[in-house]
Amino acid sequence: MQKRLLAILLVLPALTMIVLFFIVPLFASIVGAFEIGDTFGLGNFTKSFELYSKDMIFSLVIVGISAAFIGLFSVAIGGYLILGENPRAVALLRWLYRWPMFIPFIVVGQVMRTFLAKNGLMNNIFVSLGLLTPLQTVGFLDWRGIVIAFVWKQTPFVTLLVAGAMASLDRSTIEAARNLGASRLRILIEIVLPQIAGTLLVGLILSFVTMMSVLSVPLMINAQSPTMLTADIAFRINAHGDYGVANALGMISLLLTAGVALIYLRQTVRERS
Amino acid sequence: MMVRIDLWWLPRAFVLGLLAFVIFGPLTNLVLWTVAEKWYFPHMLPLEYGVSFWQRVFSPRGNAMESLGTSVLIATLTVIASLALAIPAGYALSRLKLPFRGLILLAFLIPQAFPNLPVYVNIARFFYQIGLNGTIPGVVMVHVTHGLVFAVWIATAAFSAVEIDLEDAARSIGAGPIQAFRDVTLPLAAPGLMASAIFVFLESLDEFTGSYFVGAPDVTTLPLLLYTAGAGGNYQIASITALLLLVPSIGFMLVVERFLRADVLSKVGH
Amino acid sequence: MKRLLQASLILGLAATPAAAADLTVLTAGDQNMVDYVNDYLGPLFEKENPGMKVRVVGTGPGDAGSQKIVERFDAQAKANTEKWDADVAVIHEKFAGPLVKDGYLESYRSKIASGAMVTSEKAKMALGSDVDGYVMPMFSSQTAIAYNPSVIPNPPKSYEELVAWAKQNPKQFGYNGIKGGASGVSFVMGWIYAFGDGDANKLMNGPFDEAETTKWDKAFAGLKDFTTNAVLTPGNAGTLDMLSRGEIAMGPVWVDMFYSWKADGKLPPEMKLFLPAPGMPGQPMHYVIPAKSPNTELAEKFVALATSPKVQADGIVKRFNWYPGIDAKFVQPELDKASWDKLFVDISPDDLASKGKPFPIAPYNKAILEAYEKNVAN
Repeated sequence: MQKRLLAILLVLPALTMIVLFFIVPLFASIVGAFEIGDTFGLGNFTKSFELYSKDMIFSLVIVGISAAFIGLFSVAIGGYLILGENPRAVALLRWLYRWPMFIPFIVVGQVMRTFLAKNGLMNNIFVSLGLLTPLQTVGFLDWRGIVIAFVWKQTPFVTLLVAGAMASLDRSTIEAARNLGASRLRILIEIVLPQIAGTLLVGLILSFVTMMSVLSVPLMINAQSPTMLTADIAFRINAHGDYGVANALGMISLLLTAGVALIYLRQTVRERS
Repeated sequence: MMVRIDLWWLPRAFVLGLLAFVIFGPLTNLVLWTVAEKWYFPHMLPLEYGVSFWQRVFSPRGNAMESLGTSVLIATLTVIASLALAIPAGYALSRLKLPFRGLILLAFLIPQAFPNLPVYVNIARFFYQIGLNGTIPGVVMVHVTHGLVFAVWIATAAFSAVEIDLEDAARSIGAGPIQAFRDVTLPLAAPGLMASAIFVFLESLDEFTGSYFVGAPDVTTLPLLLYTAGAGGNYQIASITALLLLVPSIGFMLVVERFLRADVLSKVGH
Repeated sequence: MKRLLQASLILGLAATPAAAADLTVLTAGDQNMVDYVNDYLGPLFEKENPGMKVRVVGTGPGDAGSQKIVERFDAQAKANTEKWDADVAVIHEKFAGPLVKDGYLESYRSKIASGAMVTSEKAKMALGSDVDGYVMPMFSSQTAIAYNPSVIPNPPKSYEELVAWAKQNPKQFGYNGIKGGASGVSFVMGWIYAFGDGDANKLMNGPFDEAETTKWDKAFAGLKDFTTNAVLTPGNAGTLDMLSRGEIAMGPVWVDMFYSWKADGKLPPEMKLFLPAPGMPGQPMHYVIPAKSPNTELAEKFVALATSPKVQADGIVKRFNWYPGIDAKFVQPELDKASWDKLFVDISPDDLASKGKPFPIAPYNKAILEAYEKNVAN
């Protein structure tokens, strides 16, 4: 019982902070989602689904694909950092992978827009190297651009976490497997990955949540419809001053991410029991 | 032996080269824009280079350096506050029995998960009432609520990854609970905690909406400048500002890494 | 650690500047709006009022920028703050009506000298709301179609010709839909003025009549068809961006943004503008003063200076090539002929008078946007 009290006391300051400075102010927004004029109802939600159900699926799919790539790349990079045998290549990779992390999202949007466009820097480089002719160039400023921007920006974030977790693993099992002649790929998948799965999942969920709430990237890269939910929310507020639907969309977005977070929570609960 | 190594460098160089292109291609674009005076189709590279936009950013009234200083100060305070809150919370969440553990973890996620524009208006209103608007502590608080999810979730994961046996072993040779935590658990969880510190720092350094609603006009951070330029397609100014923001970000990471290495090394042989 | 925390907290509190002798300007719009106050208007005002300091905060381009100013005022109103933390704000036309309705603004036009020099109807009615007295136009902006004459020597002259042109040149015309900023919205409004079955004048001047909103089906069907031949660009800046890289040959832009992109070297210097018949909307940016501004008198002085013929001539016309906010006849004598003519290089004064339209009044505006979302974007 005393231990329980201690646990609560340890969590309390952080929790108070969140509740006081975010959840209480959020409450007004949640109420607003159900407000239609002076009465309460589900009108804002039906309108949200009517107009933006495609965008909800689109957001989930885009962010899901991005998260999958981020997971793949971060494990690959982290794995090489810990299992790579050439110190120079490892050092080079360690130096290389982190840069995009430091670029704010709004600048990522700008940079990708001018890089990935049909006549952007990337295609210009390919053309001048003779890899492509000007007629073959393709622009990536659609859903692919969003995925590329997200993966570019978020992979270092997850990699940093994953590499940290891998670095604090006990090396002896890895060495033992190595001595038994296991390939590095097998060690990565069968020994390393299971031990850092929790950290990877945390990183991916945090990335997922971050990507779901980024406005500038979809706004600057993808003009087509469907688009991401954040763009719709901004549009409802800025063009219509319609906080009702904006808040309803916010709630939906929150529920979508909470659903993903639950996967993680269930897994940790299973681990603990 | 020599030959084998040389052969391995082929795929290695190819993959590393590809990665370098993927990472530095877009960054080159950014750097080029900072010195581009004229750049449009059909020219692959800028037509004219110059520093006139640097002069604009650093014009005496632009307050770029002052804003940068404020940004760094706020980010540092945010990191300190977040870690101070997150380390005990993360420890409790990973080690101790807590009612509604899942719900508590979810609560920290909400500030990131709910699109925050509608909420900041309410926060601003609340802060006006209690006189926190336009103050650095006010901005720090908003950034902490936003960054806390990184700090708490990562701290929880980091503490979970530390074998409980090690802590028990320390306790069994006579260390008190606080001492065991300080000497065993904390150093082992340090890489994760430091990673979370970097994210919190970056989050705070790049944050616009909260800084605007709670900070401006008394507290101006660099993203306030960056946002207008970035959203309006003012590539040169946005790129220069982003480059400026790189300095504290990378500096912070280097400091953290040094501190981390020294810290871990000092524990060796204890 | 603790000492560090204390030290930096104290430092942080100390670094918060005192707001006593400051005049705070919030401005929506592009970076150039912030620069305008920082580089030109601020120093000028400080020279005339020694000891004063003007500081400016940019809230971002487009409606989103103005919306952030509105929300800031909302927060302070709901918190019952005695004195607000802004003295002057620059907002888009669309937001003037709601701000006046909420009682957030001071009626000041009659108190300043340049108030009488404003003759535009847009300073009296903003999208159907009475704002007379509460706003001073900073400059008038207009949307127009940008094109590269070296690629298109004879641009279309009307919406009809534009449709035909886009058919012949698929994927060469780009606009930013309605979610990415007002230049796309403006193109859509112009489309409804041109092809809607209703009365365009009614849309611009009111009154609102529900029946009118049913008369756009054919126009939207046409726009949907047109859009399949066009490129959708990401935002106001996105259109300019694609023009800059030669990915599209034509697209609707804000005239003021167009000129600053040119000045920043991001567009080929030979690029030009045209206004297709029957016309496209434009809107002024307005100076407003919150009723609870801590320095109302100074704020009035500031706006008076900003809208004086001299500043309108030197700052707005000469510096930016923007259309003045006050009546042009007061501004023209302050300028040499070359600077004045430069204003009309692409679009003649006659064109501007006949084809520069207002946006539809707010309820129609909203209805058109929603109809677009249902009929074209889906």
